[in-house]
Amino acid sequence: MATRTVYRRGVPILEGLRYRGREGMFAWLLHRASGLGILLFLALHIVDIFLMAFGPEIFNELLVLYHAWWGRIMTVFLLFGVLFHALNGFRIIVQDFWPKLWPYERQLIWIEAAIFIPIFLWGAYQFLLPIFEH
Amino acid sequence: MKATFRIQRFDPTKDKKPYYREYQVELDPTDRVLDGLNQIKWYQDGSLTFRRSCAHGVCGSDAMRINGANGLACKVLMRDVGEKVTIEPILGLPVIKDLIVDMEPFFAQYRSVMPYLVNDEVPPDGRERIQSIEERERFDDTTKCILCAACTTACPSFWANDQFVGPAAIVNAHRFIFDSRDRAARERLDILNSKTGVWRCRTIYNCTVACPREIQITKAIGEVKQAILYGETTS
Amino acid sequence: MNGNLSRAFVNRRGRVPHGNFELYSWLFMRISGLVLLIIAVFHLFYMHFAIGVDNIDYDLVAQRWTNPLWKIFDFFLLLFALTHGINGLRYIVDDYVHKPGWAVAVKSFIFLVYVTLLGLGAYIILTFQFTPESVQAALP
Repeated sequence: MATRTVYRRGVPILEGLRYRGREGMFAWLLHRASGLGILLFLALHIVDIFLMAFGPEIFNELLVLYHAWWGRIMTVFLLFGVLFHALNGFRIIVQDFWPKLWPYERQLIWIEAAIFIPIFLWGAYQFLLPIFEH
Repeated sequence: MKATFRIQRFDPTKDKKPYYREYQVELDPTDRVLDGLNQIKWYQDGSLTFRRSCAHGVCGSDAMRINGANGLACKVLMRDVGEKVTIEPILGLPVIKDLIVDMEPFFAQYRSVMPYLVNDEVPPDGRERIQSIEERERFDDTTKCILCAACTTACPSFWANDQFVGPAAIVNAHRFIFDSRDRAARERLDILNSKTGVWRCRTIYNCTVACPREIQITKAIGEVKQAILYGETTS
Repeated sequence: MNGNLSRAFVNRRGRVPHGNFELYSWLFMRISGLVLLIIAVFHLFYMHFAIGVDNIDYDLVAQRWTNPLWKIFDFFLLLFALTHGINGLRYIVDDYVHKPGWAVAVKSFIFLVYVTLLGLGAYIILTFQFTPESVQAALP
């Protein structure tokens, strides 16, 4: 068929982002973004722990990654990612194995947000506190 | 009310890429978006091209992006979209002209799940296959599909990769998988267990929100996943 | 699972039957997700709140690994988190990389990264020996 020849594979990501989705699409986007972010951090973390093989000096020097103010901001992002990914993943698992909850996805996302926000704010405050104390 | 329609236009014989054009229309708040499009086509610009047939939400011809979200132009009222309306074709299918997309890839996915009753056995009384009210109820929701493609073209997994069979095809597979008269459930489950099948669904729920027939699509997909996982279709 | 039907499927549709890989992958993501929900969140909160980032240094991590239970904990954290993450990345590649050749190349590269990172992590967690002498020797 002639029209098959003009067929384009895949919608550009930015055009997809323009779609006015609801809570579910927002949760999916954050889940992907946080997953990628955590994986990136995990790779970094594996390498920095591996450097322990080369003795204390290099390793202790490297810990500036976590002690410097920008390192602390990075860990706040990490906390955001891990906490969101964990809670959102838990919601998906609960829905998958408890079919009765399928119609209540939006309510579940709001419950998820209600759990996420206070824990994250409290954690972020604790993470950033030492910056101001120095 | 005076409404401004901002419509994505594309004529393959003239345009290199799509552009937007605005039209002013006088409408009642209880008019539908389709009435606005008809006014533009009939009285302002006859070159505007879109599909519509029954105009009452049954034929499934006029799915489009209305203010960024999929819907049927004949089911969305002006008072719900406001005075500024942006109309674009549904995503993920090639645009043929203006708001018309090539539905063939969508129907190819639909056909791939065997959307027809398979049963070679002779009925018990030789005439009809009796079904209880409960057995009929089991797949009632998914019989409502009108194949408008609003769900499949709202799905980020489908946008990313059109090899994904898509929500609409899964809904129509569900309609036969859970039908007590059908004998090809295993075969359909096997098709949907492939790399391009149900596992591409990330429970985003865009399909359920977009469905003009209010089918619980994500739930139907979830039930198909469970049927594959547990190997049974009776639940 | 259903050999006859698989053959019927091939006959009818002219495609090769597939295994249950995507099913098991989906199931793995849920099971490892539940495990990580406990151990990864515990690890993050324990290191930050019970111990405190400022107190973490070579000696502390080394001391911690003198207890084999922490070694086992860290190893399983590494195994589950990395496998879960890399499989998630594979999903994204399946979604967005369309050319079959490219997809194979990208996925091979990701697998290589997976094996390398798993190897590095497992090596240091499982073989690390903490002896006071090694610390002494390293000091000036």
